[in-house]
Amino acid sequence: MLSRSAERLYWLARYMERTENMAKLVSVYMNLLMDLPRGVEMGWQQLLRINGSEAEFYEKYKVANERNVTRFMLTDASYSSSLFSSLTSARENIRTTRELLPDEAWEQVNEMYLFTKNDPEAVSNRRSRVLFLKKIIEGCQRFSGLLSGYMSHNHPYRFIRLGRNLERADMTSRILDLASLLLAESRSDELRQYETILWINILTALNALLMYRQHMRSRVKGDDVLSYLLLDKNLPRSVARCLLEVSDCINELPNNDALPDRVVELEDYVQDIDTHQATQLQLRAILDDLQNKLGGLHGHIADNWFSRIAAE
Amino acid sequence: MATYASEMVAYFMLHALINDNEKLITIKKAMKSIWENYTTENAYDELMYCEFQPRPVSHSLCQYLNSLKKTDIDKRKIAAELAIMEMGITFTVYSDEGNIDRAWPFDIIPRIMDAREWRIIEKGLKQRLAALNHFISDVYGEQAFIKEGKIPGETINSSKNFRKECVGMKPRHNVWANICGTDLVRDKDGIMYVLEDNLRVPSGVSYMLENRVITKRVFPELLQGIDILPIDDYPAQLQDMLSSIAPVNTHKPLIVVLTPGIYNSAYFEHAYLAQQMGAQLVEGSDLVVKEDNCVYMRTIEGLEKVDVIYRRIDDDFLDPEVFRKDSTLGVHGLMRAWKAGNVALANAPGAGVADDKVVYAYVPEMIRYYLNEEPILPNVPTYLCSNKEHLDYVLEHLAELVVKPANESGGYGMLVGPHSTAKEVNAFRKIIQADPRNYIGQPTLAISTAPTLCKGKLEPRHIDLRPFILQGENTFVTAGGLTRVALRKGSLVVNSSQGGGSKDTWIINMEGH
Repeated sequence: MLSRSAERLYWLARYMERTENMAKLVSVYMNLLMDLPRGVEMGWQQLLRINGSEAEFYEKYKVANERNVTRFMLTDASYSSSLFSSLTSARENIRTTRELLPDEAWEQVNEMYLFTKNDPEAVSNRRSRVLFLKKIIEGCQRFSGLLSGYMSHNHPYRFIRLGRNLERADMTSRILDLASLLLAESRSDELRQYETILWINILTALNALLMYRQHMRSRVKGDDVLSYLLLDKNLPRSVARCLLEVSDCINELPNNDALPDRVVELEDYVQDIDTHQATQLQLRAILDDLQNKLGGLHGHIADNWFSRIAAE
Repeated sequence: MATYASEMVAYFMLHALINDNEKLITIKKAMKSIWENYTTENAYDELMYCEFQPRPVSHSLCQYLNSLKKTDIDKRKIAAELAIMEMGITFTVYSDEGNIDRAWPFDIIPRIMDAREWRIIEKGLKQRLAALNHFISDVYGEQAFIKEGKIPGETINSSKNFRKECVGMKPRHNVWANICGTDLVRDKDGIMYVLEDNLRVPSGVSYMLENRVITKRVFPELLQGIDILPIDDYPAQLQDMLSSIAPVNTHKPLIVVLTPGIYNSAYFEHAYLAQQMGAQLVEGSDLVVKEDNCVYMRTIEGLEKVDVIYRRIDDDFLDPEVFRKDSTLGVHGLMRAWKAGNVALANAPGAGVADDKVVYAYVPEMIRYYLNEEPILPNVPTYLCSNKEHLDYVLEHLAELVVKPANESGGYGMLVGPHSTAKEVNAFRKIIQADPRNYIGQPTLAISTAPTLCKGKLEPRHIDLRPFILQGENTFVTAGGLTRVALRKGSLVVNSSQGGGSKDTWIINMEGH
């Protein structure tokens, strides 16, 4: 397969994953805020912080209220990490790789894109926003499902899995980062009372609540959630599982050079994290470091497969 | 122009034979609402004899439309538009504000032809492309046609699509134009004329295929009862043809579609055809020609040898080593590889020499010369401005003629005399006088119409037809082709870049009716 196509499929998968993550994040956040009593010091600006986009937000909006933040995160075409921007990028990438994918894949992405583009006002009130997010999440699921069911699990498919899982690992680490931020020692006791609610919502955001209960067979506790979402090798959205998938793909792709070793290194690094011993502050540093390492892995993948043009 | 008479008569007799068996059927008055004021006075109508009186080919369609409520028809139209948006069937329009991706304009009322007539046209198209390919081989070979005075050598030498770099080349099967889109129009006399042969990078076939997909979605119950020839084997035929031109002894040739990229107006089609054939869609930067004069594509596994390139890039941009130096779309050394016989290019470079409106005038003669047959499909009478007598005639009759530049496509740079002001006509006169070789004149045809849905009512709109012909080891013609329709009332310009739309084209078996 062409290096250029490999790169575009990889990014297609990353952007689709990002679209789904954003939809889920906003949806869970809405739930969380509805659960918490008024006056608890957790507003919509935390959602901006998780994506590191506070500065960009305040250039355009004055108040970080529900309406502004959701509009910014979901349908603002000028914000490069908005759901709509991710969807637009996904569409551009699939438009240039259509020949490698089943027809339905293109139609699915195109339909979601048109749906968002034609009715940006759908996100402005809660009721229609809930329906909007549901439809986007379902669309992303259908996209993954039809690729898995209709497409050969060949090299193009491996690049899709590679992109999806790297993006997923990154997102999980960001969500955990947010949780540690919210629960930092400096926070008020008032918020800490609602800790369980917060962790339940985080598990929900990563579709992990049911699996957590089955696996842990105990009530939801912060340390346990953290280690489950980082280290469990069976949960689709845990960091360890995503790395396992990444490693699988890399091992089956040609010319993988030093990449298998690098993934092993990263997997070892994750398994060494001790969530029960680390302080919140240490944990945040570890998660930060993990995100950098994931970025590094992306760089190596790009050098290895996407820039072959320069190498020859 | 008297030489065309015999072909016309032969063709017209066949045509009359078909019409002879037609029975008159009147549409019920219930249909009045959508057919109100439908007129067939100004041109031959493909579906209707006159208001309320369908031709036999359209009997089933009219009966069906009859059974629908007006709101049903509107619903079908909306459903079709939705399908087009979701399938992402678009074309790109270049404008001052940048490139706009527009939804493909589609009219849900199909254009219908009788298979008996189609078989004659099909034969005529094959005959025509065979002769054109003989001619191109001859131009880059012995030039017997010129030497025997059948065409002035000057006409070839001055054609900007004659590529001296191709002299002496012998592509497989001696076929240069592997993919041809021939534009046909029907005049008031009911005869189908060839308007032009597109031999460079003809486009539109993907829209032909998608139009049928949409019709199947929108009118599933209608298609059941009618014996329509299928068209969806085109990608398979294209793949077979491309395989048949691969360098000799290639096992399972690697075929790629070479596109100028996402900003090209036909990008949708390039991606569509690659996908339908299971071929790789590549851009110039994905390919490289090495010292062994072979073409390779850059893959995640390293370089992989390419055997056949279906190129959708004009000759000019194909290889900066040979043609335009500033081309960033092409591949350095592609011509070397082609000349060494290591890769097949479809269409072959230089094939465009026969895609010239001056050369067009000589096609009937080519058919007689190379095939020793009479042309089945007539040309539109053509006046060559390079010829003094013809030039004088054209200048005198500008207000009645259509005058076209020899080498433009997309309907640009032409004059439609009867639709122009005196000022426009006079301005054009100067343009012709400055460069007579580059212009031809033709009578303005009353090209045929077909009922088209306009604001909930059916109105006649002018249409043409572009069938696609493939020639490699064998020759194949699509069943029908792409029907383009001028959506503006009275307009004769069907190009999608200039307000044209399209219709699904049905070739139907009438035997047993």
